[in-house]
Amino acid sequence: MKIAIEELAGCSGCTISLLDIHEELLNVLKDHEIVYSPVIMDVKEPPNDIDIAFVTGAVRNEENEKRLKEIRRKAKKVVALGTCACYGGISGLSMLSSNEEIFRCVYQGVETVKEGNLVPGKVPPFLYRAFAVGDLARVDYYITGCPPKEHYLNMILPLLLKGEKPGLPRKSVCAECDRVMGSVEGWKMKRRHEGTPDREHCLLGQGYLCLGSVTFGRCGATCPHNNIPCHGCNGPSLDILREPCRDIHNLIVRRIVDLTGLPAAQVEKEMFDIAHTLYTFTIGSLIMEDKETSKIRDLVKGGNI
Amino acid sequence: MKQMTISPVTRVEGHGEVRIDLNDRGEVERAHFSVVELRGFERFLVGAAVEEAPRITPRICGICPTSHHLAAAKALDQIFGAEPPEAGKKLRELMMLGQYIHSHALHFFMLAAPDYLLPGAGEGDRNVMGLAKGSMELVKKAIAVRKFGQRITEAVGGKPIHPATGVPGGVSHPIQESQRASLLQMAEGVLAAAIESWEIAHSLMDKIDPSVGLVNTAFMGMQKGGLFTFDGGQVQVCSPEGTTLGSFSGADYVSQMEEYTEDWSYLKFCRLKAGQPYRVGPLARLNIVNSMGTSEADKALAEYRKKYGRVVQTTLAYNIARYVEFLWACERAKELLQDSALTAQKTRTPVEGVVNRRGVGIIEAPRGTLIHDYTVNEAGIIERCNLIVATCQNNYAMDRSVEEVARRVIRDGKPIDGGVNLIESVIRAYDPCLSCATHMIKTENGRMASRPFIKICISGVR
Repeated sequence: MKIAIEELAGCSGCTISLLDIHEELLNVLKDHEIVYSPVIMDVKEPPNDIDIAFVTGAVRNEENEKRLKEIRRKAKKVVALGTCACYGGISGLSMLSSNEEIFRCVYQGVETVKEGNLVPGKVPPFLYRAFAVGDLARVDYYITGCPPKEHYLNMILPLLLKGEKPGLPRKSVCAECDRVMGSVEGWKMKRRHEGTPDREHCLLGQGYLCLGSVTFGRCGATCPHNNIPCHGCNGPSLDILREPCRDIHNLIVRRIVDLTGLPAAQVEKEMFDIAHTLYTFTIGSLIMEDKETSKIRDLVKGGNI
Repeated sequence: MKQMTISPVTRVEGHGEVRIDLNDRGEVERAHFSVVELRGFERFLVGAAVEEAPRITPRICGICPTSHHLAAAKALDQIFGAEPPEAGKKLRELMMLGQYIHSHALHFFMLAAPDYLLPGAGEGDRNVMGLAKGSMELVKKAIAVRKFGQRITEAVGGKPIHPATGVPGGVSHPIQESQRASLLQMAEGVLAAAIESWEIAHSLMDKIDPSVGLVNTAFMGMQKGGLFTFDGGQVQVCSPEGTTLGSFSGADYVSQMEEYTEDWSYLKFCRLKAGQPYRVGPLARLNIVNSMGTSEADKALAEYRKKYGRVVQTTLAYNIARYVEFLWACERAKELLQDSALTAQKTRTPVEGVVNRRGVGIIEAPRGTLIHDYTVNEAGIIERCNLIVATCQNNYAMDRSVEEVARRVIRDGKPIDGGVNLIESVIRAYDPCLSCATHMIKTENGRMASRPFIKICISGVR
């Protein structure tokens, strides 16, 4: 198969994640060929006969959109690789401010620039909002993860390149976590940096905003395993994706209510900075914004200050 | 007047292009390196709970996420007033070593080496796959050394890309003795391979033309008692001749440097307060330090200095300087992995509320000096944020290097054979990280998307 890897608005981490299958990559390249990938090779334009294109990053400007449309036209199969391609990822957070506010901040507001510093003008145009790849083009497969993990790519890449559909787990991060619930008496929301969480018990049960229950798995629950609450970087869990009335915010609130018996209104009041703690990786996704219960519209309207 | 564009610049991280203006005689009037991809971190971090910064900022760059992760964590140490315990500090150091090994190996073997080891190769073959066709052994070696770097980051940081364990006051979780033992075992083989491959880096000294992309600048880099270090030292600034111009740590960075913009790039530029351009990264660091502090790297440094002298301006020598640092990182990783204090259980000093309203984390990232500066309110919500990355600081030099090479390779309005790649190879020497450099989003040729428009769109008119 002829493979292409295209980069849109992102960090190149997903391309590196493909290199992170290490020596397995040599096996993949015995039967298949990478024909286009600007980070690792010099071919400047995607060729016409691509069998499978991995598209990484979000769509934030006209160049991203043009490249996406072009690769869709030239590739038989398109895979949205990584959370940015699937849900807009971290670049979506830019929707919390208007373009003017961002320019003022970056070019004129930080301490190391002079007042009235120039804002560049001879630079390419920007779309009015961030998009996930699937918002603007037909996608054949979605592979979530920021970035997708090595063991998981090793499991699916050989099959995908053979044209087969791999059978995959569809559970949340909690299903891969080894913690037990423990007592939730006197539950109080903590900031994620406060104190030292105990290693045995559920982080949400201890008061830390752990998104494991509302986040798609396949990462091995590596953050909870290392005593860090889940930040949701794999994107929303399958029940949220399937059900229009379910959203990250209302589902995590409901989970805490079920866990603690506290009134929902009180839990909602204890939530803080939901843009950066709940919607960090999904704020740029139309699918997530369009949900009736989504808070994304309010966040974009109100800004993050 | 005609414009020639090389787009995208390849085998570098992120989106950039070269724009060359030609006059009526087909000569280069001017040439610029323009960065066309922008995001907006300095703005969208405002309003964030500051403890999220070490989780959000690694997403600036998937090649050097650990640098952002730990620069942010260091700023948080100050904000929450906590010094990491010994094991916490050592684990952070190990995580950064993993970063150096992976990032430098990626650049040297997989991105830059094809320019020098496959001089006659065409566009489709001048890459790591082309390298594999000629020398599978070399590519296997490159994969093995980079894998070691990523395995370290995974063991300490939880994930090889976008590590998550750095917290205010240390690291969230200890590593197990079995992890240390298996990494140490890998370290032996990797160090042997790194020493063996110095020969390749050494051979580049005869292959590269030192005048290609030459610029004359001051330099900035961290040192500790004259030794190479990426954390905890003083950042030193030296003149183009090597005279010390100043040094700083923490918030004092603002008295040393300033940022400015040019109309044709989203990437900001940095210069010293007095106006001089400067460079950061491997070339700069080796100019600043007296020695590396490990035996093999110091041997390599001596050979490098024998060729180029004590203060090196040669742009393409970045590639060799990078290898000297790579050797150092492999040696230091092996040394550190032998330290039993690494597996101590206490890795974190617990913190509660905000102690200081401002925290400045400075670290030497693989590409150069990296500064994360956060100011928070009493509740720990970010009010101001300034991120100064290596690629902005090298922007002036990169841009001038591009013009220098453009002038030599454009004849009658056309690039000579291999000319386009020579222009790109000089950009590549800096190992720019364009995602790192782009903390903001694009204009629309003066038509900036207005807020009311966004409002209309989200209320259903889309």
